[in-house]
Amino acid sequence: MLLYASVLLIVIGLYGLLTNRNVIKIILSLNVLEIGLNIFIITVGFLDLEEAIAPIITLQQRASVIVVDPLPQALVLTAIVIGVGTTAIGLSLAKKMYDKYHTFNLDEMGEE
Amino acid sequence: MSIVLLIAVPLFFAFLGIILKKAAPYFLLLVSFFNVLALGFISQGAIVIGGYSSFYGIQLVLNSYSLIGLYVVNTLFFVIVAINCFKHKKLSPILLISLAGLNGLLLTNDLFNLFVFMEIAGISAYLITTTTKDPKSTFNYLVLGTIGSSFYLLGLIILYAMFGVLNIRILGNIIEGVVTNKAAVALPFLFIFIGLGVETKLLPFNSWVKGILGKSNALTGPLVGAVYASAFAFVFGNLLRYLFVFSESLLLIVSILLVATILIGEAMAYASTKVREILLFSSIAQAGVAVLVFALGYYTWGTILIALNGFSKLILYLVVNIAVDQVKSDELSALKGLFVNNKLIGAGFSVATLSILGLPIFAGFIVKMNILVAMANTPKFFFVGVILLASLIEGIYFIKLLINFWFEQDQAPRVKYSYVVIYVTLVIALLITVFGVYLEPLNSIHSTLNLVKGVVMHG
Repeated sequence: MLLYASVLLIVIGLYGLLTNRNVIKIILSLNVLEIGLNIFIITVGFLDLEEAIAPIITLQQRASVIVVDPLPQALVLTAIVIGVGTTAIGLSLAKKMYDKYHTFNLDEMGEE
Repeated sequence: MSIVLLIAVPLFFAFLGIILKKAAPYFLLLVSFFNVLALGFISQGAIVIGGYSSFYGIQLVLNSYSLIGLYVVNTLFFVIVAINCFKHKKLSPILLISLAGLNGLLLTNDLFNLFVFMEIAGISAYLITTTTKDPKSTFNYLVLGTIGSSFYLLGLIILYAMFGVLNIRILGNIIEGVVTNKAAVALPFLFIFIGLGVETKLLPFNSWVKGILGKSNALTGPLVGAVYASAFAFVFGNLLRYLFVFSESLLLIVSILLVATILIGEAMAYASTKVREILLFSSIAQAGVAVLVFALGYYTWGTILIALNGFSKLILYLVVNIAVDQVKSDELSALKGLFVNNKLIGAGFSVATLSILGLPIFAGFIVKMNILVAMANTPKFFFVGVILLASLIEGIYFIKLLINFWFEQDQAPRVKYSYVVIYVTLVIALLITVFGVYLEPLNSIHSTLNLVKGVVMHG
């Protein structure tokens, strides 16, 4: 179920990127795409282990406890940080564009 | 000396440069020079960060291929920094981070780590391109770059879900040995291909290029057009060599994309009247040729082609962007007679252009001829025809460009080039000519590298 939700989010993000001309909406679409991608990565660790718990080592660790694959979770942490960085630059560019053209609409900015 | 230093030292000085702002340009100059020098003292081999087995840990590999890539990228980077570092002092920490990212791209043998370095290099490039004062183009670059890296991430995670490993060479071996139906891995490979295609400027993922290189300056033009293009072409070559296994249908799609990239790129360059646009469309076509050569399996000549193109493009972008900065126009008509008052620069520019064209006595001829002979022997006559047709179109617009630049008229633009630019242009032009006549070093590239290392280490 979660896998389908992630694919749906990726598709919504791509649709938003293709149809929007507003800078802020484009950045939001990028974020939706990235969130979909991050959920997709997380689901990869769960695929065959629906009963598994989060991969946190505790003092009372039992051999019978199944944990999910920790690697996709580590990858997602990095991907989230990179996504935040990209969004921050995108927003600062949006501000620069607004200062220069007084609009967020790419079509209204015209060609230089 | 450990290969990690090539990434760690630029990163350390980047953060130090944020604290010690006045010293940052000097850090940039010293560290980029240190990196070129350090390559002579680092022994080839592989290390795994954290001491894990290579199956689990992040592996960095230095072999002949990555060493050539590192020499090319670090040398080009140092030259660009030496010319520009005091004009863009505020960018020094970002340039250092981009150097770390580019070195990481060439060294890593881990698919996810490659994604991280792609993003580090990419985010630095977005920031560096803000110097063109055109936020719309930079934003377009950011959006397309992020979409590209998202596709790359999607591709790599599908591969991880299928095989449970991210090490490029191990993954390549598993796919080569275990997967009988190669079409099963076509989807993730296509996603990875699209992701890298954005940065390598392949059609149809390269709409950012016109805004970035079409409005470039003396820093962004050579950096994005020569350094980043070379680094990503080397990465593409690495993946094509060790990871990609093409099914027939995927090879067909890739071939169509690459042939379209080459021919449309050349046609657009032919049709353009702006000098920077001619160069950028030509770069797109050259990127297509380089990836095609790797995709068809001619790795050695593909490597030399990327290296040669990197140095030639450095001259082209540097000379043109300095002229455009001073003349305030990149129309071909405004730059007529550019070399009338700059004969040395003109000579170097002409050598680089004729080498890219593949004319005899220049290194480009040797590379192009060997690629065409190898293709004809395989035999792949269709691709031979495509490259010859591309060279013909290239010949027409580059010769037209040279005639316009050398053509004497009453009001030739007065452009002043610094001695560093003249010196760099002439040295690269001389090397291109020497390697065009003296073939032995190119024919035995591996022993040449060892010789270079020996000279650096022992004098």
